[in-house]
Amino acid sequence: MNINTNKFSSETKITIFFSKLLKINWIIIFCLIFLGLVGVASLYSAAGGDWNPWAKNHLIRLIFGFCLMFFIAFIPSIFFSKYSVVSFILGIFSLILVQIIGSGSVQRWISLGSINFQPSEFMKLALILILAKYFDHISKIQLNKLIPYIIPILIIMTPGFLVISQPDLGTGLTIILLGLSILFFVGISFKFVIFSILISIGSVPLIWQQLYEYQQQRILVFLNPEMDSLGSGYQIIQSKIAIGSGGLFGKGYLLGTQSRLNYLPEKHTDFIFTLISEELGFLGSISIILVFSLLIASIMKISFNVESLFSKVVVFGVGFLIFLYLSLNIGMVCGLLPVVGAPLPLVSYGGTSLLTVLVGVGIVLSINIHDKKA
Amino acid sequence: MKNKSQKKLEKTVSRRFLFLSLLKGSIIGTIGWRLFDLQLVENRKYEKLSKDNQFNYIIIAPERGRILDRKMRLLAGNMDGFSLVLNWNKNLNVHQIIKKISANIILTEKDINNFYNRIKYQKNNFAKQILITKNLSQKDVSKLAVRSIEFPEISFSMSKRRVYPQGIIAGHITGYTGPYSEKIENSSLHGIDVGKRGLEKFFDAQLRGEFGRKRNEVTSKGYIIDSQIYESTKPGIDIQVSLDMKLQAFAVERLERGNYDLVSVDNKNIKNQISKLKNFNFSSNNHVYVNKKKRVVNPQSGSLIVMDINNGEIICSVSTPGFDPNIFSTDLEVDEWNYVKNNSRSPLLNRSMAGVYPPGSTIKMAVALAALESGMIDYKTKFFCNGLKELGTSKFHCWAKDGHGNLNLMEAIEQSCDVFFYELGLKVGIDKIALMMKKLGLGQYYDIQIHDRARGVVPNIEWKLKRDGLNWSIGETLNASIGQGYILTTPLQLVTMVSRIANGKFAVNPSLTMSSVNKNFKVLNINVEHLNFIKKAMEKVVIGKKGTARNYKIGTKNIEMAGKTGTVQVVRITELEREQGLIKNEDRPWKKRDHALFVGYAPTIYPKYAISVVVEHGGSGSSVAAPIARDVFKHLFKL
Repeated sequence: MNINTNKFSSETKITIFFSKLLKINWIIIFCLIFLGLVGVASLYSAAGGDWNPWAKNHLIRLIFGFCLMFFIAFIPSIFFSKYSVVSFILGIFSLILVQIIGSGSVQRWISLGSINFQPSEFMKLALILILAKYFDHISKIQLNKLIPYIIPILIIMTPGFLVISQPDLGTGLTIILLGLSILFFVGISFKFVIFSILISIGSVPLIWQQLYEYQQQRILVFLNPEMDSLGSGYQIIQSKIAIGSGGLFGKGYLLGTQSRLNYLPEKHTDFIFTLISEELGFLGSISIILVFSLLIASIMKISFNVESLFSKVVVFGVGFLIFLYLSLNIGMVCGLLPVVGAPLPLVSYGGTSLLTVLVGVGIVLSINIHDKKA
Repeated sequence: MKNKSQKKLEKTVSRRFLFLSLLKGSIIGTIGWRLFDLQLVENRKYEKLSKDNQFNYIIIAPERGRILDRKMRLLAGNMDGFSLVLNWNKNLNVHQIIKKISANIILTEKDINNFYNRIKYQKNNFAKQILITKNLSQKDVSKLAVRSIEFPEISFSMSKRRVYPQGIIAGHITGYTGPYSEKIENSSLHGIDVGKRGLEKFFDAQLRGEFGRKRNEVTSKGYIIDSQIYESTKPGIDIQVSLDMKLQAFAVERLERGNYDLVSVDNKNIKNQISKLKNFNFSSNNHVYVNKKKRVVNPQSGSLIVMDINNGEIICSVSTPGFDPNIFSTDLEVDEWNYVKNNSRSPLLNRSMAGVYPPGSTIKMAVALAALESGMIDYKTKFFCNGLKELGTSKFHCWAKDGHGNLNLMEAIEQSCDVFFYELGLKVGIDKIALMMKKLGLGQYYDIQIHDRARGVVPNIEWKLKRDGLNWSIGETLNASIGQGYILTTPLQLVTMVSRIANGKFAVNPSLTMSSVNKNFKVLNINVEHLNFIKKAMEKVVIGKKGTARNYKIGTKNIEMAGKTGTVQVVRITELEREQGLIKNEDRPWKKRDHALFVGYAPTIYPKYAISVVVEHGGSGSSVAAPIARDVFKHLFKL
């Protein structure tokens, strides 16, 4: 038995690593890989059967994202609690920064060399963390009055309105919805919920005036797509045609006429789901939704099982974020919601939503591994 | 305490967790239901919309059938034409390209204007082919093709153009084609040439063939990425008609000449006259007609029809002035159209079938037959003509001022005595005369292959009551008996009338087709003896010593014509004018001159062809119309 202490300690590290690896929820990993590969395949089809310009990049981003996710998964979850406030302040700071130095006519991005950074996406995760931290903290004192909700509402509305004023209505609403769902989750009273719903309905005309003309147009066209069948309504109509013409089995992989003949706008980003529906039919599109549902359900299961309120809220928040992405995107492409510009994470081309989801799931996995109860 | 509140919180969170899960589940369920609805329930609707997006269909016209005359001469055919098209998209500098093209070939101003209009009236910015010109010569094509590198945006397309080699002489019969324009029916036919008039219109379905369709796969921006024949075409059928274009050409020339002389325009005096004239129809570019006083005149206008009395085939059908159907095959020039449309002699009117004229004395056979059939007179019945028939206060004149004296029916037809027929009319009555006219084919449409035709008028007591609510007066019977007054006939009806008389057995109907099918004509049902008597009288008109057409015999042993002249008064002559002496026909303004008519048939033994000649405001039937008929018969029988 000439086991070296050093060797022993390194062995323990390896053992710890493997024990952590075993604790990873493989259903979630499977879902993520499946969706990512569906994305690669769809982007290959969107380019007319070509790895360029999207499919290859998407695959590289996926690999990078998965590495990052695993890395985060092995960070002890206490770390996220510790840095939640810092990350939120950083998020707000970068949102203000983007207003000043942002690139493009629509100021959403900060360019860091060749990397475009979209602070509003990062904000979503920061918001989840800080709300979780806040409620975890406050729960030890009291939580049955309305006053403790004033701070979180400020926390939600500040980044929300900053993003809407970029202007990015879709993401801004996502942030607000996400925050409010967390408030609801931790037990805000129903009276308050009803009250705030009434307030928001009352403020519709006020918000309407604040909207940019193109945003108003989008909402009007959503209410009546035929109003402008060659302009703004075009996207909704063509998208519905693509989905509807798919039928049960679809037109076949690479054979979607709507996408091949360029009738689908943004077919590689926000409207990627229409391409899948057209080529793979009802069976294909419902499978995607089922896999997403499985992913969300698995995350929710973790949220149900973990001990601390912080962990519960964070995991719930990430799960709800994925749910929001899914329902906004698909609701939009099949004409249930106005075209607000929401990507389908992991499938749509574009790194930001992919990273947000993978980092979020990384945190979920970390919590799953490190939480006492799990 | 703490523990309690935390437990309470845990409970709330669990409840909220469940509630939110349900909410999420129902939202995802809604999305699933929406997809089910779009993809399975409404699948058909969206599949159709998707197909409409993917494909557009273009009608392709097959080669149009030809129209041939009885000797297979071409009346209407097709010629290869080249079109120049621009493969347009919104990034092109159109002006630059047109400038470049104009440097190489000649583009007419009209083509360029039309081209810019086509660009201007585009509904969207999708790429598409836009026609620059249809009239590209072979030379132009090669000029541009050599420089095809300089013109990447243009391409050529071959198209068929309708041509009418006979030109002006048969325009009314062939008609012409033009772009489909009726709105209600099949809108996909828009822009495709269909028959618009004449035979082109009547036989359009056969000539047209069956349209095919080309299916293009187009991108959302309108670029065609694939194209295939979806439904193949079926070429149109050739149609053969009974006309003889050689006779037609002769007849046109002869009718237009009338009694005029042809002179060259090079003559100084003639040139001078032409420069002063307005609204003048040239007979050709080098020659004009002059009358006996050497004044330049318009060619005669009128109609000439030759018909086979046995089978009703129309051998020639002339209406002058005519129009050249070729002008409709290319984009119609505005001045050409205005000339045709506003010409005071209405070249577009097919006088043979749609023009109506009082028949004048040519109706007298019908009146005579009505009298004979009624049994009120016989061959020997005589009436006295002193040049005037008085009825109450009105006076009805004979064309011969001093009268014809005592004469029988045969003599009355030969000399065209009006008073004799006034007496006949009085005896027989208008209703019986009208019945006979109807029997002989007047006042009715025929089943002829030309759509624009007139019915004419055969008046009787009932007709007048219906039209004016007035009673028929005896004086009107007298007018009708010499083919004046209300009665109106088309030249086609006149030639049919003569055909039926000459045929004797069957009520022949005119036709432009050469069908071998036995034409089941109705039996004429007129006493053959009476008919033979009338035919004899018509022969006398030509060969009789006092016959009105005695100066225009064919004059051969075997073949002679028979007929009847007619001179139709266009304006009423007052008693005052009569007393002052009549102004000579040539001295009256053209519009007030008499119509000259001749109807007849030849040969007299075993008749074969019937003819009707109408020279509008031509003067007297015997001196103007009869010689034309004789010359046409001479040409027909190669004499």
